[in-house]
Amino acid sequence: MTSLTINGTPIDVAPGTTILDAARALGETIPTLCFDERQDPFGACRVCMVGVEGAPGPLPACTTQVREGMVVDTRDPTARRVADAVVELVLSELPEPPASHTELAAVARQLDVTDTRWPGRVHERDHDERHPYLALRHELCISCGRCVRACDEVQGTFALTATGRGFDANIAAGMDQGFQASACVSCGACADTCPTGAITEMSLLDLAPEPLHEVTT
Amino acid sequence: MSKNLVELIRRHHEQGAPTALEVLKAAMDDHGTITDDDRRVAAERSGLPEATVYGVSTFYDDLVHPRGRRHVRVCTGTACFAATGDAHVDQVREGLGLQLGERSADGETSLAETVCLGLCHSSPAVRVGDVIDAGPGVVERVLAGTERTAPEPDPVSLLPEPVLTVPGGWEGLRAALDRNDPEATLEDVKAAQVRGRGGAGFPAGMKWQFARAAKGEHKFIVANGDEGDPGSYIDKWLMERNPALLLEGMAIAGFVVGADHGFVLCRSEYPLSKPALDAAAAQAREAGLLGENILGSGFSFDVTIIEGAGSYVVGEETALLASIQGLRGTVSARPPFPAERGVHGMPTVVNNVETLCNVPFIASRGVDAYRDLSPGATPGSKLVCFNERFAKPGLYEVPFGMTMRELCEDVAGGLVDGHELKALQIGGPLGGILPASKLDTPFDFDALAAEGCMVGHGGIVGFDETTDMRELARHLLHFGASESCGKCFPCRIGLQRAHEMFAADDPVDRQRLEELLETLELGSLCAHGGGMPAPIRSLLAHWPDELGLAVA
Repeated sequence: MTSLTINGTPIDVAPGTTILDAARALGETIPTLCFDERQDPFGACRVCMVGVEGAPGPLPACTTQVREGMVVDTRDPTARRVADAVVELVLSELPEPPASHTELAAVARQLDVTDTRWPGRVHERDHDERHPYLALRHELCISCGRCVRACDEVQGTFALTATGRGFDANIAAGMDQGFQASACVSCGACADTCPTGAITEMSLLDLAPEPLHEVTT
Repeated sequence: MSKNLVELIRRHHEQGAPTALEVLKAAMDDHGTITDDDRRVAAERSGLPEATVYGVSTFYDDLVHPRGRRHVRVCTGTACFAATGDAHVDQVREGLGLQLGERSADGETSLAETVCLGLCHSSPAVRVGDVIDAGPGVVERVLAGTERTAPEPDPVSLLPEPVLTVPGGWEGLRAALDRNDPEATLEDVKAAQVRGRGGAGFPAGMKWQFARAAKGEHKFIVANGDEGDPGSYIDKWLMERNPALLLEGMAIAGFVVGADHGFVLCRSEYPLSKPALDAAAAQAREAGLLGENILGSGFSFDVTIIEGAGSYVVGEETALLASIQGLRGTVSARPPFPAERGVHGMPTVVNNVETLCNVPFIASRGVDAYRDLSPGATPGSKLVCFNERFAKPGLYEVPFGMTMRELCEDVAGGLVDGHELKALQIGGPLGGILPASKLDTPFDFDALAAEGCMVGHGGIVGFDETTDMRELARHLLHFGASESCGKCFPCRIGLQRAHEMFAADDPVDRQRLEELLETLELGSLCAHGGGMPAPIRSLLAHWPDELGLAVA
């Protein structure tokens, strides 16, 4: 076992465990956007940054494995500053704020990043509703890779891919001919994991027109 | 990197299948655009899913810009910027009547930008088909259809005994095989303290040790010849003019770690590299220096030469591994490190071309001789190259530890035509910018790091007194944003925002910029997003008055 402390609390975990899993085992909350526990860690969103004593800068909790004697601070001010800044950047690429029921909106609320100060380019509206009940709204895609990995690692269908690069990165079903003409088996794993509503089940879209009421629980 | 896709690729590779990227590149070469039929064929031949192939086809520069019968690529590298302030780009665009990335309606001519062609000694450079022209009159020649291949200078070695600039003679591999003690050769490479020449400076011996210790049915050596740093043409020369030395270094690495195959990924911006390496490999096979049972030693090792498709970030090692396997060249979080899971999921060493070229000397001449090359500094030999702004631009083999003044003034002869040196960018676009007032800084890892700069890969781009530093910031951030692989959020969105801050004519809010630079530095997944702030920080530190900052 590997012994470490997280926010002052000691914990023993199996070697190879990530900081994120260790912290969650202790009940600590570390916000994430590209993480889905059913998938291999991806390390793209950089919202799970934490402070680690002796490290030159904050480290991503999802892809950093624990080491013996590690001292982790999930509330490290530098790490939190970076995470907040990243979420503000994410909000800046969307043409509209995320719907309040989405994971992205929840993370933004949790970090108290209510708005973005960044002007500039946003993703262009591009809706694909050719499938009877899977809708793809490209402008809401934040390239977290969760849908692509769900289709690969969970479903084994490989109907989705990341596309483009840089700010123009996005996703496509098949050869961008939409879900129905792709290898998609309509399992819905992509819609289930999507943190922004870029992929949704049409019935949910119909039932929940924008804006949703905000429910605080 | 998807484990499932890598396994799919491994199985198809065993059956002799090409990679999806190879099939797509061939389609582009054949008819200048990628169609859905091409993608279906690539999927079928490579064994990859159609969606995956589609993703690949949208990632690489070489696959996304349509090509006419006459495909013109204008270099927008930093040396070309230093030479013309990008005036040559506008001249070519206006002369052809095409925007960058556009093909004429009749399909005759197309124009795209490319970074960089490695003709930095003769900037500006323009490529037409596979002919690279450069220097005075290049734009006129290209517009008149009379382009010609630009000459490239021979390198000059300042070392009493050249290491990298003499033709490889395979003595190092012979010595290692005669000795027949891989562990001892590994210890020599570690004792020689060979630091990676690609930019990160990681000890090469450590990578070899990890891969040697790792378990795998096969192991691989990968030579990183994706020399994307604008202003560098070091690996270009090594791959094109001294390819045997690289192959020898790879074979020695293979012998040490127990690898039986190597891959060289060379850039498509260097059309001569793959043919030169293929020819050298064929020659070596004929001489019994590559292939089965090399020189009767029982050790077998062969190589495959792969050409890239236009992406700076593919120079990052995990992106390089993805590209070699024909996938999108995006960065993966480590662990797993390549030494555990690399090509086809097998233990893999990824070393820069120049790093591997240092190894034969150690194997043939020993650790002490190698360390003596750079007394009192980082051991070994280093190639540096200078841009067209210098009086004697070209490639020089130098010891570590000379001052930048000695390099710029004594070696490269100062600037041309009485121009005054304003600043240097050393080691690529992720390196800081050194003002001329700091020329007494030694060329070595720690000394340059203390000035916010780096050895990087060793390209030295000089800027003269006419350089507009705000334009330089815009130039660098345009490069940074357009080359971001799109994987991690800080780089994907942050470099776009940083570029927008300088692309508009509006004043730049310094505090917001510095906050953004911190997010990039601390948050990015790889050195691209993490390193792009370095030159911007230098500009803020040394030329704040020239950047158009908002008055607080």
